[in-house]
Amino acid sequence: MDADRRMLDALRHERSELENHYIDELASGRIDRRQFIRRGAVIGMSTGLMSAILAACGNANSSSSSSSAAASSSGAAVKGGSLKLAMQAPAGQVNPLTVSDAGGLCLLAQTGEFLAFDNNLALALQPMLATSWTPSKNGSVWTFKLRPGVKFHNGSPLTADDVVYTMQALADPKNASNALSTFTSVLTPEGVVKVDDTTVAFHLEAPNGNFPYLVSSDNYNAIIVPKGTDFAKWQQTFIGTGPFKLSSFSQNVSASFVANPDYWGGPPKLASTSFQFYTSQQPQILALEGGQVDVIVQFVVQGAQSLLNSSSYNIIKLKSANHRELSMRNDMAPFNDARVRQAIALCLNRPGMVQALLDGYGEVGNDNPFAPKFPSTDTSVPQRTQDIPKAKQLLAAAGHPNGFQTTLTTEQFEEIPALAQVIAEAATKIGVDIKLKVESQSAYYGKATYGNSDWLDAIMSLVDYGDRGVPNVFLEAPLTSNGPWNAAHFKNPTYDNLVKQYVAAIDLQTQRQIAGRIETLLLQETPIVIPYFIDGLTATASTVHGVNPTSIAAIYLKDAYKTA
Amino acid sequence: MSIEALPVESRAALSAGAGDLRRQFLRDLVHQKAFMIGATVLGFWVLAAIFGTLVVQDPLAQNLSAINQAPSASHLFGTDQLGRDVLARVIVGSRSILVTAPLATLIGTVLGTVVGLSMGYFRGIVDDILGRFVEAFLALPLVVTGIIGIVALGASDTTLIIVIGIVFTPLIARTVRAAVLVERDLDYVAAARLRGERSLYIMFVEILPNVLAPITVEFTVRLGYAVFTIVTLSFLGFGLQPPTPNWGYDISANVGAVTAGYWWEVLFAAVAVATLVIGVNMLASSIESALDAS
Amino acid sequence: MAGFVLKRLGLGLITLWLLSLLVFFAGQVLPGDPARAILGPLAAPSAVAALARQLGTNQPVIDQYGTWVGHLLTGNLGTSYQYQAPIAPLLGKALGNSLELALVAFVMVVPIGILGGVIAALNVGRRVDRVISVFGLSATVIPEVVSGIVLILVFGLWLNVLPIQAAWPPGAGLGTQIYHLIMPAIPLALILFGYIQQMARAGTVEALASDYARTATLKGLPRGVMIRRHILRNSLLPTITVIATQTGYLIGGLVLVETLFHYQGIGTLIYNAATSKDFPMLEAGVLVIGAAYMVATLAADMLYTLLNPRLRLRGVE
Repeated sequence: MDADRRMLDALRHERSELENHYIDELASGRIDRRQFIRRGAVIGMSTGLMSAILAACGNANSSSSSSSAAASSSGAAVKGGSLKLAMQAPAGQVNPLTVSDAGGLCLLAQTGEFLAFDNNLALALQPMLATSWTPSKNGSVWTFKLRPGVKFHNGSPLTADDVVYTMQALADPKNASNALSTFTSVLTPEGVVKVDDTTVAFHLEAPNGNFPYLVSSDNYNAIIVPKGTDFAKWQQTFIGTGPFKLSSFSQNVSASFVANPDYWGGPPKLASTSFQFYTSQQPQILALEGGQVDVIVQFVVQGAQSLLNSSSYNIIKLKSANHRELSMRNDMAPFNDARVRQAIALCLNRPGMVQALLDGYGEVGNDNPFAPKFPSTDTSVPQRTQDIPKAKQLLAAAGHPNGFQTTLTTEQFEEIPALAQVIAEAATKIGVDIKLKVESQSAYYGKATYGNSDWLDAIMSLVDYGDRGVPNVFLEAPLTSNGPWNAAHFKNPTYDNLVKQYVAAIDLQTQRQIAGRIETLLLQETPIVIPYFIDGLTATASTVHGVNPTSIAAIYLKDAYKTA
Repeated sequence: MSIEALPVESRAALSAGAGDLRRQFLRDLVHQKAFMIGATVLGFWVLAAIFGTLVVQDPLAQNLSAINQAPSASHLFGTDQLGRDVLARVIVGSRSILVTAPLATLIGTVLGTVVGLSMGYFRGIVDDILGRFVEAFLALPLVVTGIIGIVALGASDTTLIIVIGIVFTPLIARTVRAAVLVERDLDYVAAARLRGERSLYIMFVEILPNVLAPITVEFTVRLGYAVFTIVTLSFLGFGLQPPTPNWGYDISANVGAVTAGYWWEVLFAAVAVATLVIGVNMLASSIESALDAS
Repeated sequence: MAGFVLKRLGLGLITLWLLSLLVFFAGQVLPGDPARAILGPLAAPSAVAALARQLGTNQPVIDQYGTWVGHLLTGNLGTSYQYQAPIAPLLGKALGNSLELALVAFVMVVPIGILGGVIAALNVGRRVDRVISVFGLSATVIPEVVSGIVLILVFGLWLNVLPIQAAWPPGAGLGTQIYHLIMPAIPLALILFGYIQQMARAGTVEALASDYARTATLKGLPRGVMIRRHILRNSLLPTITVIATQTGYLIGGLVLVETLFHYQGIGTLIYNAATSKDFPMLEAGVLVIGAAYMVATLAADMLYTLLNPRLRLRGVE
């Protein structure tokens, strides 16, 4: 024990203030091993250093079992071989700038790589094309060191110029870049600066403690492409740095890839992969059951009961921040009274919903976007549970003893129409009559700007939010006073200020403190209801090992292999 | 999805006489087995629509702890993905369709008759111009018309009625035109013209009564297609909003669960649709053949 | 005849032009906007504006239509907003898939339909006739979704003899492809059965009552020979017309079957184009179907007129 203490002190000696802060957190037990690795990675601590610290703290051998699909497994591996996967068809052209759908982003990640990799299985941010990154003291400048010896599929070496070219294009408001939804008011093209051939610095608009996530696989548009790439033509070559190279691509049909023998991390185990495109889930399930594919990249529970109830498949379950958000117009009667909004939130039987709508593959939400998977989430804030008498009481106090009638507008997407019906049914218990308006996604989102979108304009609106590595986007766009997706029309200066502090905070302790205050504030105000968070699900045949899916529906196959 | 007409020349040739034939017609009708079967089926669904809620459980009541239950004594048709009673949803699901289908057909028939009368009576340039529109509309896929209508007017039963009414208009217009073409050269029309009657008078007072028979047949035949089209559009999400029971929507909401073995969530609604369209169709064809006979 | 054909072609072109206008202007009320559809609801407004400029969807509506017509006149179907790829190959592939499905349905239904019609006609008024006719009529009005569901349950899940999705595994041979198309083709075949059976029945009844049937009977031809020689030949004529006019329906009304059986055909293509406001794709898809419908109708009418000279003077509309 003494030796450990001395060892730890020695390790601390050359660490920065921030790094020492995390070591303190770990030593005092305020964060566990996995959270330490995760936070350490964000601020750029190396894996070797972290394991030394963990060993010194004596909890290196504590719970290390994560979902073990990424780990190697017994059975004779088949050398080479081809893996067949079923995935959602890309909605349009596979253009790194514009892709915004599950199918497109999955394909980007087959040949493209990011500066950092948000490993959803290990719940940790890992080096990819950057080997390390460090923040300036206040977190407003982040410097990334690039991996040496990386080659693009066209043979040219990866340099800082390529990273600068890619990131500037993504952050340029004049471009049709989908990454702007992440980079707006965070990063401008001028902020991307080449320091030397293997170093790039990002000068941010405002301090940001989680910036590495924004250039990781989490921001799926941010694959690094060679300088001068015409993004609109990228689909013809799929040139990246990844473990697989394009072999063929057929719009609306399939894409296949072959192993890249020159991959910086050594060639992948598989000789090739091929992705079949599907426009709905049922045929994917049938294809897996019929042996026509080995993997379903991502599926939802509804309609997949046959897979979940069978023991012949491996189901990889990922904790995710993927959620549904019910917004109520805070600026319109009757929802301009917080008691009415609370009453609606109190009607819901959340554990029942998780069980019935998600078959248990999810976690209850507490009407704030801090998912259980985020290390910064303050889990001590009490969970809201169903309380009909209290809901009735609140409603009566707000002047609606006999309830009222209103309309909930939502989209035709996954289990959302069913969820809307469950919410409407729950509200009848306090006399609130919710009529439903279920629209096609295009009708629902409309132009996605205020005044031109049922999503943003409806009195009650129920929308889906996909997974992110950090809650920043969830906290800002849908809830801050000038957020672009504020369907609740929630305007609260205290909240805005807290979010600004949260985003800037670099150390976890501060983040969690602010998170607790945000969670409490959102419970009081209840501008939105978040009934649950939905696990990411991937299914494979039992002969498939080592696949590494993410909860945004990408999948990494470098270590995947098949057994006979 | 076709709402393409059956060839209508044979029907167009019908020019029923008046008066006494009516009793003969009714006798013919009641003596047909098809008529009796069709009337029984339709009658059942009408009763179900009116009194169904008195007999079955609440079609909206959810039970999240008893979802996807197979048929049993407490739920004869099982429960759906939200634990609702499928039998109740099938029975009460007849309501909206029994209102929308006749109204939609009526709108289509009225509009189609006006357009068809004008085309057939005026012929020439009017016929040519309207004819182009009729053809263009016929070539427009139903889904496209449906989407546009739903977007312009919002998804509701009213929208469904209007959209289907508009879709049926050119079809019925074609039939009416063919019938009018036969009539307009007959003596009574020439006589009316000689008397100096106005065109509108001749069209609606002189000719219309004489083409009522094919219009009646067209109405009954279209009724079956209206059910067909409503189910199709509801399946694609263009009809009544949930949670109101609706056969087409309920099928589409649960069809994904078929592979999981939850067949009862779609089969009963599908059978309900089948019985209704077949019933309506049997009525239609027996009315047609009774008209033929008289 | 040439004059008749030319007139019909001219009228057909006018109709197609009307159709294109109809789709274009009605399509303006479709929700959303193409750039937004591509980038997703969460994209930044500046990104959407930039993409709209690239696509040309920020241009006035009339200009967009003009550009599109200009391309069309030079034989260019244009570029899909959604896929940012030339439309012709995408459309061609979808059309090919749909035609393959339609063909399977035709091969199934035509012989059975004609046989049913002839049998019904030979038994006019009897029970057999009534059963066949009622079945045929009912089949035409049962929505594909209903017959499709029943087929999926019975043959796909309970008996497990047919695949329940139309999409065949990659690299499948023709046999496997047809095997996958059997179940999706049945709902289509059922609907056609009613039409074909009715026409074949009517044609046969008429032929039986006509002069040559009577003459043949007087000549003492055996009934079987007479049916084969005269009646079948003459009742086939109207049947061909019906089948031809149904081409439009078969190509155009596939959305449901394609949705239910997960098949990438022209129906799905048009449906997707409409929901993502991919105007050039929507126009191209609708016009192709419209043109197919008109050509088929014209061909049927010509055939009818050619084979049945009495009708030539009456003019067929």
